[in-house]
Amino acid sequence: MSSTIIHVGGQDPQFQSFADYCDGDSAVVHRVTIRIDETRGGAALVISPPEQADVIWPLADIRRVRDQAARDVDVVRLRSDPVSRLLISDAEARRIIAARCENLNRRPPVENRSRLVVWSLGAVASVVLIIFVLVPLMADQLAGFLPPKGEQALGDATFEQIRRALGEDDFVPLEICDTAAGTQALATMQARLDGQLDVPYPLRVQVLDDPLVNAFALPGGRVVLFRGLIDAAAGPDEVAAVLAHEIGHVANRDPARGALRSAGSIGVLGLLFGDFAGGTVVLFMLNRLIDASYSQQAEALADSFAHNALIDAGIAPSSLATFFERLVDDSEQPTGIAAHFLAHPAMGDRIAAARNADSLLAGPVRPSLNASDWRALQRICQSGGGTVEKIKIKKGI
Amino acid sequence: MSITDLQTDYAGRRGALFGLALRASLLTVLSLGIYRFWMKTRLRRYYWSSIRPGGQPLEYVGEPLEKLLGFLIAVVFLSFYIGVVNLLLMFFSFSLLNSNVWAYVLSGLGVLPILFYARYRARRYILARTRWRGVRFGMEPGAWGYTWRALLHWAITILTAGLLWPRMTFLLEKYRTDRTFFGHQRFHQGGRWQMLYRAYLPFLAGLITIAGAGAIFYVSADISAILAGSAGAMLALYGLAHYRVHSFRIMMNYKTVGGVGFLSQPRPWRVLWIYSLGYALVVLALTVLFVLFVMALVGFLSANDLPAIEDLGIADLSREVPVWILSLGSALLYFSVFIIWGALTHVLVTLPVARHYAQTLAITGAASLPGIYQRARDELEQAEGFAEALDVGAAI
Repeated sequence: MSSTIIHVGGQDPQFQSFADYCDGDSAVVHRVTIRIDETRGGAALVISPPEQADVIWPLADIRRVRDQAARDVDVVRLRSDPVSRLLISDAEARRIIAARCENLNRRPPVENRSRLVVWSLGAVASVVLIIFVLVPLMADQLAGFLPPKGEQALGDATFEQIRRALGEDDFVPLEICDTAAGTQALATMQARLDGQLDVPYPLRVQVLDDPLVNAFALPGGRVVLFRGLIDAAAGPDEVAAVLAHEIGHVANRDPARGALRSAGSIGVLGLLFGDFAGGTVVLFMLNRLIDASYSQQAEALADSFAHNALIDAGIAPSSLATFFERLVDDSEQPTGIAAHFLAHPAMGDRIAAARNADSLLAGPVRPSLNASDWRALQRICQSGGGTVEKIKIKKGI
Repeated sequence: MSITDLQTDYAGRRGALFGLALRASLLTVLSLGIYRFWMKTRLRRYYWSSIRPGGQPLEYVGEPLEKLLGFLIAVVFLSFYIGVVNLLLMFFSFSLLNSNVWAYVLSGLGVLPILFYARYRARRYILARTRWRGVRFGMEPGAWGYTWRALLHWAITILTAGLLWPRMTFLLEKYRTDRTFFGHQRFHQGGRWQMLYRAYLPFLAGLITIAGAGAIFYVSADISAILAGSAGAMLALYGLAHYRVHSFRIMMNYKTVGGVGFLSQPRPWRVLWIYSLGYALVVLALTVLFVLFVMALVGFLSANDLPAIEDLGIADLSREVPVWILSLGSALLYFSVFIIWGALTHVLVTLPVARHYAQTLAITGAASLPGIYQRARDELEQAEGFAEALDVGAAI
């Protein structure tokens, strides 16, 4: 060996120490001497195992193995060698290595980076395809094959879930409003609107005692109106218009498709975000987004069903427009991403379409309920005590 | 125990681990969960390097990005399964039986094989990324073989009312061990399943006591049957810890790798004590932190001349303070509890348990170690993706 000159801030130039060396070939731990050789291209660490050739590690290529528990030993490696390890316990040697290896704390390179990127993009694309294309497509196809009994069972299960979710707690589900006179009035209104309905199960319309200004259809011919919607309406024709719209959803079997879609997509989204805290929020937002993407088209179809049903019954389709306008006036029209989440964008178009449909009215206009029936419907929830007013949320009509 | 046995020392420190776990969980929350692959990797490096048989630390060399990739691959398969299969199950369940109960049952049963498959794959991945003395551990492929065996053993165990549980424990562990390697050398699980039965008796006695007490209560509605039942439950709880610790110990002592063997002596009472004390301390610490938080809040409100907290109904509070501040505050509180719980559990439960198992382990026949040669790297594209996606073996 040639002479060795080391420059470590005035330290003894003849630095030499001992360390443990694993060569990555066998489970032998070699007790080695280490020293720094300044005469090579850059300075290098010379590792000398007993009775074997020296191993040369350029100082610039030495990296520390990270997150090690022991504080009395440094584990270092060569940048380009994933297997060999040097374990240095001597305090002086550790100090010199830390001072001389300028890249000690840089990370070793990640192998196969480009393949990782390709695979990741592929994985994300497949999941998007499954959630946004495959599951909706299958749900739409299968919904047509659901037997009437099965669809009714699905609707009953969903109805009970909604009553429990909106109730005070799990044990007190939301009240069903059913005063005799109110139910009679509702049946009268229903009879004038469901003439065109052709589904293999009876239509069931019910009112739930909640201040939400909302109404929706469920699988199996169920339509639910909230008390808040009846309270917000200026007259029976506005309620009738909304009811006709929901019957339109029933006629197109939209609720069955929606229920099957969410059965498929909710679980997948939960999987993606893992169980880290707060994942549920993201989940909810995303599912709303998925819902909205089919709603636009379905809403237009349900609107046109409603226009026809109202015209046949001698009720002005513009009642739907006046009711929508009241909703829009009550709250500022949401824009941008918020509008997308509300599931009912393009409210203006729908109002205009309802107005235009008035021109198709042939016979005389007749209110959907007489004054006493309308009063009975308004009081359909007044069998028990009063109810506490909650914040009104507009969606779902 | 002979003079040539390698004792295991444990280098992990609570303070350092707490800092690491706290910082990593904070980043996990801030990155919407993406950092969890880095967190898992860093924590494993720490835990592995703490364990030093014969003074030489284990090393974990798994990469966060390969975990992310494995997770994504698993998600593709599982989204197909969950999306399409659940949809079909829901459809047929409502079509044929007019109820969704069967869909849930079948969909749950359908995940079971994937769970066992995932467990084997995760163990294979972890072993392939573990080294000692510069030599890789490894495991042969065999996840499907493990899956059907596990299903069969579980069925037998349930059908025999738990009497053959030790047989399942032994045969499944033997299946895994006999496919495990250190370098080029294969592990071997010796012994027979009957040797675990003695360790199983306390748990079995607990189960029988509970069943007997239940039967007596059903017949005579005797109050003392409830007391006997509770005693049985306590016994079963201890019995479970007893069985897990001793079955681990016995099977460990019957494992060999060439001429190398193991001498393991963990104590069930010690493990049970660490768990009870650990979780009690975690809950206590969180309670103290919560009380301090409320006191600080009250102090802040009175210092700023706001009405005292007891004068404020919730309705008033929401009028005084903007809603977004309230929601942000509660989100922060929620995440803090989540993060601190995780970090404290590492420090007060996982680390002490690992330390106990490590310090009671010695390696015999160390003279054979130099004859063990390196094995080739196992690429394992899926890493532990299925285990990650299904959250099995979430300890570390």
